[in-house]
Formats: sequence, C-alpha cells, structure tokens
Amino acid sequence: MRSRARPLSPAAQRILVAALVAIRPRGHGFDQDVDDDVLASIEEFFPHLPAPMRLAFPLGLHLLEWAPLVVVRRATRLSRMSPDETRHYLERALAFGGPLGALVLGVRALVLLNFYQHPAVLETMQVDWAGRRDELVARRAELLQS
Amino acid sequence: MSAGPTPPEHHVAYPNVLVGAEIDGDRSLSADAVVVGTGAGGATVAARLRAAGLDVLMLEEGGLHRTETFTTDPTAMVRRLYRDAGTSMILGKPPIIFAEGKCVGGSTVINGGMSWRTPARVLEHWAHDLGLDETGPAAMEPYFDEAERILHVEPNHEDTYGRNTHLFVEGARALGWPVARAPRNMRRCVGLNNCALGCPTGAKQAMHVTEVPRALADGAGLVTHARVDRVVWRGTTAVGVRGRFVDDRGRARGRLQVDAPLVVLAAGARHTPGILLRSRLRARQIGRGLHTHPNAKCVGIFDERIDPWKGTHQAFHVHHFLDEGILIGYAAIPPGLLAAALPGMGPESAEYMSLYNHMLTAATLVEDDTEGRVRLGPDRQPFMHQTLGPADVERLHRGVTLTAELLFAAGARRVLLPFSDLPALAHVGELPRIAARDRRRGSTELMTVHIMGTARMAADPARGATDASGAVWGTRGLVIADASVLPSSIGVNPQETIIAMALRNADRWLEARGTRRVAGGGA
Repeated sequence: MRSRARPLSPAAQRILVAALVAIRPRGHGFDQDVDDDVLASIEEFFPHLPAPMRLAFPLGLHLLEWAPLVVVRRATRLSRMSPDETRHYLERALAFGGPLGALVLGVRALVLLNFYQHPAVLETMQVDWAGRRDELVARRAELLQS
Repeated sequence: MSAGPTPPEHHVAYPNVLVGAEIDGDRSLSADAVVVGTGAGGATVAARLRAAGLDVLMLEEGGLHRTETFTTDPTAMVRRLYRDAGTSMILGKPPIIFAEGKCVGGSTVINGGMSWRTPARVLEHWAHDLGLDETGPAAMEPYFDEAERILHVEPNHEDTYGRNTHLFVEGARALGWPVARAPRNMRRCVGLNNCALGCPTGAKQAMHVTEVPRALADGAGLVTHARVDRVVWRGTTAVGVRGRFVDDRGRARGRLQVDAPLVVLAAGARHTPGILLRSRLRARQIGRGLHTHPNAKCVGIFDERIDPWKGTHQAFHVHHFLDEGILIGYAAIPPGLLAAALPGMGPESAEYMSLYNHMLTAATLVEDDTEGRVRLGPDRQPFMHQTLGPADVERLHRGVTLTAELLFAAGARRVLLPFSDLPALAHVGELPRIAARDRRRGSTELMTVHIMGTARMAADPARGATDASGAVWGTRGLVIADASVLPSSIGVNPQETIIAMALRNADRWLEARGTRRVAGGGA
C-alpha cells in the first residue's frame, strides 16, 4: 500500500479491504490483480461525500466488523472471516435492510463501480468507451466543418 | 487526442467569471438580479434578464468544467459533476437513488438531453383544475418554441443508432406499440452515449455551452463555488442572499453576500426549498409536493452481441402508455454503474457482467401521484422523503411488465428485474409473476433524476409555495425558476418544461418591474 495520508484509520481500512476482497468479482475472466487501485479509487470518493456520510462511514465499517454475531450468529469479526464467509455475511446484511443494509449497498456500489471501470477490466470486457471518445470528438468536428 | 479539428464547444469563452474556490476572505457583491443556480432554469433566466438590461450575477455551487475536459470515466466524472459524488438518496419505502448535477450548467450537463414538451393533458390540468392562468397548451406554445430554439432540439441522425436502438424499436414494433423519435437538445450528435458524464463531443447543448456563455458574453457575471445558505430580508422583501465560498470538495471558505433587489432561486427541487426553509420562511407549503418520476430498470440478455456502448443514448421512447403515466426508454450504462444496479457480489456479479456486451438496459419511468417532502436535517441541509402509494406501486409494476415484455419481444432470452425477491424472468410466459408479486416482500431498486414540485405554483397560498408566476407567496423580490415550481408530476423528462416555464415567468417578473419584456431574447 502507498504511504500517503488516507481518509480512513488503519482499522477501518482493514475492514474495507476485507469487504472489497469479498465483493469484488471473481471468475468469468475477472481475475485482474487490481485491489490496490480499486481501494485507492474508492478512497478518492470520501472527500466528496456529504459531511454526515463522511462521518458515518468509518463508524459504519466498525459496526459491520462486529455485526456477524447479530446477522449470521457467529462470534467473529468480518476482517477475520474468509472471503466466501464474508460474502455470505454481507448478502445477509444487505437483506437485513436498515442502516446496515444501506451501508453494504454503498460499499458494494463503490467496489463494483471502481472495479469494473478499471482500465484492465474494461480491456478484458472489450469495452473501449475512451477510444470511442477520441474518435467521435474528431468525427463531429469534421462533420461540422464539412 | 490527435491535433486535428476540434468542435466549437471546446473553444467556448467564459468572461466575467470569479472562481469562488480561489477567493481568500469575505466578499460583498451587488447586482440588479442574483440568480442562484445555473441549470436549465437559472441559466435561461439569467440570459433573459440580462437581455432585458438587468445587471445579472449568477451563483453556482459547483465548478466550471469545460467540455474538452470531459472523459468517459464515471469514477472521475461523478466526483466532478454530481452533487455528493452521486450518492444522494430519497428516503422512503423503497428508497430512491437520486442524482443531480453540481457544476456550471447544473443537471443539463449530465442529463440525457431529452427535450419533450409537457403533455397537453398536464398543461390542461394546471390551467383548468388548478386555476393557473396562461399555463394551458396554447398559452405555453410560444415558450416551448423558444425553449427549443435555445436548446437546439433535433432528433438523432440514423448513423448514430447502435444495435440497442434497433432492438428497442424492433421490440416495441413487434408488440404494435408506436415509438416516438426523441427530440434532444443537441447539435449533430455522433452517438458517443456519454451524456450522463458530460458530453465530450460538445453535441449536447447543455447550459454550460449555451445560455451561460451567452449571458456572460452579454455582460452578466458568474461566481462559481458559491453556496447560498439563505435569503437576506428587509421586512418581507428579499434584498439579497448570503452564503459561503466553497472548495471543490464543498468545504466552506470565506463568506459571500450579494445585494440584489431581485433574487431568483434556481437551485433545483431539493436545494431551492432548502434555501427557503433556512431563510425563516414558515409557509406550510414549502418543501411539500415532491414528485420524483421514479424509474426502474430491466436488463435484457440477448444471444447476439449488442455492444451497448456503441451508439446514441435514447433515440426513441415508447409514449404509447403515457396516459397511464408510463414512459419506456433505454440507455447504455457504463459497466461499473450497471454492475452496482444488478444483483450479486463476487462470482455472481462476475457471471452477470461477463454478459455486458449482450445486454440491453431499458427502463420504465412512472408519473407518481404520491407527494413526498423536502425538510431540513440536523445539519441544516435538505433531505427528501417519499414512500410511493399503492397506485404508484401498481403503475410501477405495470411499467416493469411492459418493459420486460418489450425486451422479450426484441429477442431477450432472459430479463433481469429491479425486484430483490424476483430478480429475473426466463421467458415471456413468466411475465404474470410481476403482477402476482407480493408487494410487501423484497425491495425494488429505483432511481430518479427528475424531482419537482417542492415550491409549486398555486392559485392561493394554501395550496402552493409560489404564485402563478413563481413568486414566493407573502414576499417581494423573491422568485423561483426551476422544477420546484411545477405544480404536479409531468410524466416526461422535465428539462424543456423547466425552461419554458422559466421563460414565461421571467416575462412576468419583467412586466411587474415595468421592464420591457424581451420577445425571443434568449434565442
């Protein structure tokens, strides 16, 4: 991991990393080693969140860390579960609804957004929106000139 | 980028701009009119008032992002152009994801460019049932004409259609449903389909390339990174606004006060009532009447490769069911955003997304009767809540059924639904499962970019926050020019309605001031 100042405490970051590893896609061609990039990209969102959410997010991560006892009746912590166990737990928490479900929904959205938009993943998916941008900007300029 | 020719929208001049994020200390400014917000309503009114000779100052909470800086990366563009990095939510059952622009040009920078007129039955309802004079179809027609000149409305060229467009049209026609060619505010779209992240080609004629630079060139001023907290009063007369400069992340910097005898709020249907509520106005109707025009997605998975990212955005809609309050459209959504809306994590998400290039995403938008509300939270920021009533829930299920039917008719071999307890249908024979679904179970994934009605116009103050010209009841010098004033849900994309109503109301304010109205002034 890089050394620059990060918006989360080491403990909160550890929880987020455990959730990321469980949520990020695997199989079907999605085995790119991009977790560090995904985490860095997720962290870039935090300063842009509204203040209440910025404050609540780290607290929510700690709640998620300790909630397996309530959600899946297991006396353990999220960051000590295997990725498969964590995924099962997060799916149950999502179905739980309420603030915990909303938090999982948010973490899931951040992980999937930043994973699937990673250039290496897009290349695997054969999606070249960026290349098309350059091509069509020039194409439109030519059309307007002609 | 190659060094070849570039579109004219890459060379727009923005004179008279003060970047609030770069200002140290406090500032006090003055103008004849201060316009809060630079989206469809605010930019239109600013250009209109300036053309009538007023000294106009526009305030925008977001930054000025030039067309040539727009990319196709949603992780970057959402942070730059969207309020709260796109994380806003309307609370209720079900909760509704909400997105709006926070940048010069407002939500016109990130919308799909749909430019529909308000349906005639809606205008007739406003004129006849609600008693709002000169809002009927005939009275509004010149304003729609002018709005379309401002927006440069045209349909897509056929060479921009992708395979998703053809399939959408084929599906509708197979069912005997007519399709409507969507009028869009664009100048020779080339079909990049990046509308929701800012149009890098410049084809979409959003306010940051039309009315904002037009007003600036005419002598108006603009302060970016200026967050308005409240209106300043002398008795019941608005005499200006007060707020803070903010940085790109929204952190407060110096204080800002603008003195102006005319205050125009155009901060959108969430933040305009927020400013009113923070301004010690106690009128009961402020914040009430929220309509959200929610949409629900259905994703068809096809055997053939569609490459949904190749081809234009929503060249057609199905308006066949508009009298039922149901509109059906389609969109290409970037992989990261679509994955967040589809079910599953880990391998399940991977399985779905491995089929991305075989997906056609369609959506139903429903005209909601249920009224939600905007209130101030403990942090004094506005939050929204709306729980859809039974009639809206039924309309939503009907819309989802029709949308899934269209996708099957187009050849989908499976359709993913927005219901957590009914995530997919395997064939057309399963469509009745949608109507039969237990409404109390599971959750429904909804989102919207079309909120309205939170300071609605009404013939008397007991029924709305503003009068028939968008002036706030019980005040002087305070008017509203955004979707807040729309008296009811309109059932279509609201951009053109907002602009037409802003033009109509601006003429009324100018007449009330004794200022010559500017026929066609914005065109």
